Amino acid sequence: MADIKRIKVGTASCGLAAGAGAVLEAIRKQAGNIPVSETGCMGHCYAEPIVELELTDGSSIFYGRVKGTDEAAAAILAQSEEGRFVFPEKRSKLEKLLVTRLAGHINPVSLDEYKANGGFSALEKVLTMTPEQVVDAVKASGLRGRGGAGFPTGMKWSFLAAKKVPDKVQICNADEGDPGAFMDRSMMESVPYQVLEGMLIGAYATGATRLFIYCRAEYPLAIKHLTIAIEEMKKAGLNKLPNREAPLEITIKEGAGAFVCGEETAMIHSLEGKRGTPRFRPPFPTDSGWNTLPTAINNVETFANIPIIFQIGADAYAAIGTEKSKGTKIFALAGDVKTPGLVEVPMGITLGEIVYDIGGAEPGTVKAVQTGGPSGGCIPASEFGVKIDYDSLGKLGAIMGSGGLIVIGNNRCMVETARYFLNFTRRESCGKCTFCRVGTTRMYEALERITSGKGSMDDIAFLEDIAPKIKKGALCGLGQTAPNPALSTLRYFKNEYLAHVQDHVCEALACPALVDVAIDPAKCIKCKLCVKTCPVGAIDPANNFSVDNAKCTKCNSCIEVCPKKAVSRVRKQSANA
Amino acid sequence: MSDIIFKIDGREVAAQPGETILQAAARIGVEIPTLCYNQKISKTTSCFVCVVKDCKTGKFLPSCSACPAPGQEIDASSDEVKDMRRTALSLLVSEHTGDCEAPCTLACPAHATVEEYVRAGRNGDFRKALEIIKQRIPLPMSVGRVCPRFCERDCRRNIGGKPVSINDVKRLSADMYYDTYMEDQPALNGKRVAIVGAGPAGLSAAYYLRLQGVASFLFEQMPEAGGMLRYGIPEFRLPKDTLRKELAHFGKMGGIEIRTGQKLGKDFTIEQLEQDFDAVILAVGSWASSSMRIDGEEAAQKGIQWLGDIAGKNWKDCPNPGRTIVVGGGNTAIDCARTALRLGGDVTIVYRRTRNEMPAQAIEVDEAMEEGVKFEFLTAPAALTKNADGSLSLSCARMQLGEPDASGRRSPVLIPGSEFKLQADTVISAIGQRTVVPEGFAASKRGFEISADDFTCSGRKKVFAAGDCVSGPATVVEALAAGRKAALSVVDFLNGVPHKAPYEFNVSRGHWRSLAKEDLVYIRQVSDAERIQPEYIPLEERKTTFHELYPTFTPEQVSGEADRCIECSCTGKHDCLLKKHSTAYGVDPNAYKGAKPISAVDVRHKYIIHDKQKCIRCGTCVKVCSEVINKSLLGMMKRGFHTMVDTTFGQGLPDYCVDCGACVKECPTGALDWKKKE
Repeated sequence: MADIKRIKVGTASCGLAAGAGAVLEAIRKQAGNIPVSETGCMGHCYAEPIVELELTDGSSIFYGRVKGTDEAAAAILAQSEEGRFVFPEKRSKLEKLLVTRLAGHINPVSLDEYKANGGFSALEKVLTMTPEQVVDAVKASGLRGRGGAGFPTGMKWSFLAAKKVPDKVQICNADEGDPGAFMDRSMMESVPYQVLEGMLIGAYATGATRLFIYCRAEYPLAIKHLTIAIEEMKKAGLNKLPNREAPLEITIKEGAGAFVCGEETAMIHSLEGKRGTPRFRPPFPTDSGWNTLPTAINNVETFANIPIIFQIGADAYAAIGTEKSKGTKIFALAGDVKTPGLVEVPMGITLGEIVYDIGGAEPGTVKAVQTGGPSGGCIPASEFGVKIDYDSLGKLGAIMGSGGLIVIGNNRCMVETARYFLNFTRRESCGKCTFCRVGTTRMYEALERITSGKGSMDDIAFLEDIAPKIKKGALCGLGQTAPNPALSTLRYFKNEYLAHVQDHVCEALACPALVDVAIDPAKCIKCKLCVKTCPVGAIDPANNFSVDNAKCTKCNSCIEVCPKKAVSRVRKQSANA
Repeated sequence: MSDIIFKIDGREVAAQPGETILQAAARIGVEIPTLCYNQKISKTTSCFVCVVKDCKTGKFLPSCSACPAPGQEIDASSDEVKDMRRTALSLLVSEHTGDCEAPCTLACPAHATVEEYVRAGRNGDFRKALEIIKQRIPLPMSVGRVCPRFCERDCRRNIGGKPVSINDVKRLSADMYYDTYMEDQPALNGKRVAIVGAGPAGLSAAYYLRLQGVASFLFEQMPEAGGMLRYGIPEFRLPKDTLRKELAHFGKMGGIEIRTGQKLGKDFTIEQLEQDFDAVILAVGSWASSSMRIDGEEAAQKGIQWLGDIAGKNWKDCPNPGRTIVVGGGNTAIDCARTALRLGGDVTIVYRRTRNEMPAQAIEVDEAMEEGVKFEFLTAPAALTKNADGSLSLSCARMQLGEPDASGRRSPVLIPGSEFKLQADTVISAIGQRTVVPEGFAASKRGFEISADDFTCSGRKKVFAAGDCVSGPATVVEALAAGRKAALSVVDFLNGVPHKAPYEFNVSRGHWRSLAKEDLVYIRQVSDAERIQPEYIPLEERKTTFHELYPTFTPEQVSGEADRCIECSCTGKHDCLLKKHSTAYGVDPNAYKGAKPISAVDVRHKYIIHDKQKCIRCGTCVKVCSEVINKSLLGMMKRGFHTMVDTTFGQGLPDYCVDCGACVKECPTGALDWKKKE
């Protein structure tokens, strides 16, 4: 048994949420002289808190779902066989860790560690090239914007580089807002230097003089790590580019939580101190952006890809992926899978491989995945064979988006899914253009009527009529994509809409207005746990444990507490009651 | 830089660099509707009513912000583009709350602009009031006396009180100025229209034809013109001297000729009229009494004929009808009863339902009761027999109310064994009238069948119809409205253009019954006085003479009453672009139903009303105040559906607002407006 060289505790947000704070404290208490280091997220969020023991023989032992107790810490220090975390083999085979290679393995804020693992070697290489060569290399790599729209990054950079003005702006879009998406947060928390290195390369290539990171304020740890990293870089003089009079300043702007500020023109307005509302393009930001200066905006993950391109070479990078979508993509895999987390896979992998092989979902239990968040769509399980790239997902009525990938199990209602996302967009609309501000609310209301059992065929007809008009009419990407969740579910799951409207049936037993709760007397052991748990007193033990469904709020407490699985949701008995 | 050559609707246009598609289109006369474009401020790109389609990419562009690209082909007028604009307008309207028009004006069958003439009356300008009234009511002296006041039923002063006594503005204005007022008339254009029947509908048609330069000839079978006004409505409700004064005006106008004593089918035929005139309007009314369908009915007087006979004698030297039973619950029944009473009769009205179901105006029932008319409710006649002494015996049965019928009124159901008899000298049947449709014309359920589009009689493109003979028995004001519509349709026919009833977009905050006192919006201090009450002539005089029931109010009284008007209509109705474009695009205000954002009306500023319920969130005011006036007193607040324009912390426009009104001037709707309406 080799000695422990160093102990690493994953304290990214996912780890901390799972209790890594207490784990770190417990281990520090007993570690003695063994250095204990914090690290980021390896993507196996389901196994957090994760502790890694670096051994003197160069190998590592991982522990997953570690408890923050002294006993647990002691067992780990004793290199116990129990609780060890083994990387799932299927997933390891399918994943291709390029961008996230260092995430969860190094101390995020340590410049030395980043450098020791190849960090800033790309920048070094870049500085030996001309800016034009750098732009060309990014073009050659085939990298497309990871924020969602997939615009070729090299092309965008070339637009900015072509502007012969002294002052140019580069913004890192870190306003990750899609529900269920956390790729950018994880990158900023785990490998902040990698993002910053990408930005410096971008600034060198495009001639940008002012650098901003627009990060949502809800990401305090990411902002903390970035702030430290910027300071460290400055101290090391890394922000001094050749032939530049002044060192580059990177300013972090904390967004106030508006989803629409992820849209580039809205983000620019916000950075200018104005209300975060988009404007009509053209002019595009590369022509007139922040305070009318030429401005390029790239996503966090895009910037994190940049050092990789120069580390492995643009050609090698372009060899990964499909014809039109190169490299890898990080997905935030969430929903009805066994092992949710961040996965980095090569473009061209199938949805099925992600859902079943990486996520561990049982075939037959999943009916769809939702990609691209509120702008995306639901892809049915029948299409899981499709190879993922920007274009294939678009053809299916979804989008690549920033990388949110929510797996929808058979127990979920697709109408409710659409309603959820429309409720999101109607709140997050900036309120400026008619189609988005009013249209999304009217769509939401129709979906709400359907899920509450009050829908009509008119509502379905209305959705089918208005949705394409909103897509065509809305000012910005938010509105233009907001109908997608409804459109894609109408495309693949219209039967569910019809069942809600015509038969007052929610097949998934998900819509509270269309379900009853019932207790199976054959299974019931009359333990009364359900009676005690019910918050509204809807279960009457004196009356053969009957459920008063008029009272019942469908909170599921009784179903969860029943030791015999005697309580369940059933179709509403009297459809119109 | 050189011009950018592109196409709009297939026409080549040269745009200057920086010029938008909207601006370039305007230069070549292609009008693109927009609410939020304003050249004084930076682009707002908010309403999206200005969308056009890029034919090559299929994309829709806001033309107010999109600059043309060389070679671009823009579709600014196709149905698809118009549908997108209509959709944008419909969405805006679905979150819009307000009253384009006041509920009184909408309630008026003739859509007389009530709020406006009431305001003129409030200002003491009764001549102006008359001018406004006559735009829709050509018989204001009569209507000012006999109208059942649809407007007042919908008046928002009904909330916790009594409505404004609107009709008295009409009566006073007409009494004061009708004789001397003469409308501007165009020269006669040589077209001649025959109108059969010189009642309210026929007279109205003649009036509005004349205002369009068309001469008309009214053929009236009775010795005098006026129709129901002359022969149906009794003297005490509408003195015939007043009516004659009113009708004299038609002769003074020139171009309207009334030929009395001319009976259709006897003195002339439709075919003759068709031959001799450019168009014919049938306005023959509903003069046939409906049958009671009981045995012995022939012994009863027919209500409307009985009234007509007495009117023909000018209410003089008529025999006392003695014990009189009037069967029916409508206005004709009440008129018969009160006439019989004044002739010395002892009058009982027999009606098969209760007072609540009576179609007669409540005020007239009250007046009849005051005068001593007795009522037997829930009583239905079963048979009429002549007694040996020549008197009559009406067998009746008691009824009870059952289920509501098609009209929503509960139907009377016979109570078995409740039969009884009433003795009378005179029995008058007044249970309704109908139209006698001559041969060769299609009949509807109620009268002449006409095309709803252009008022023409079925199968006869040159013959139009209006009034009671189409609608069945209705009110004078409804007949006036119908006469006007028929006249406008005839004018289109004479000009050879297809008639299309004009569409006017309108939103409403709802009936006053659905509103609370707190929902009322005041743009000025409104009088909190009680509604004025008429001073009736002494009851004894009412019972024994046909004198008019009460005199016209004084100008002071009416001005005071008009000061009770809340002025419900939108301050911005004359320059609201949302209304203008929604009207042009035929937007249905209820196309998209759904919640409206919670927003309030701010009347704290001395001169400016900020009605956030009417805001389309374009932010024009915000930009005008900041970019043009350099004050920044307004800002956009909240997000999503609840986005709104507001002042700092919702405190209202501050003291340092310079009251410049730039926001008011540029607001495309009535969201920001002056409180003053004139």
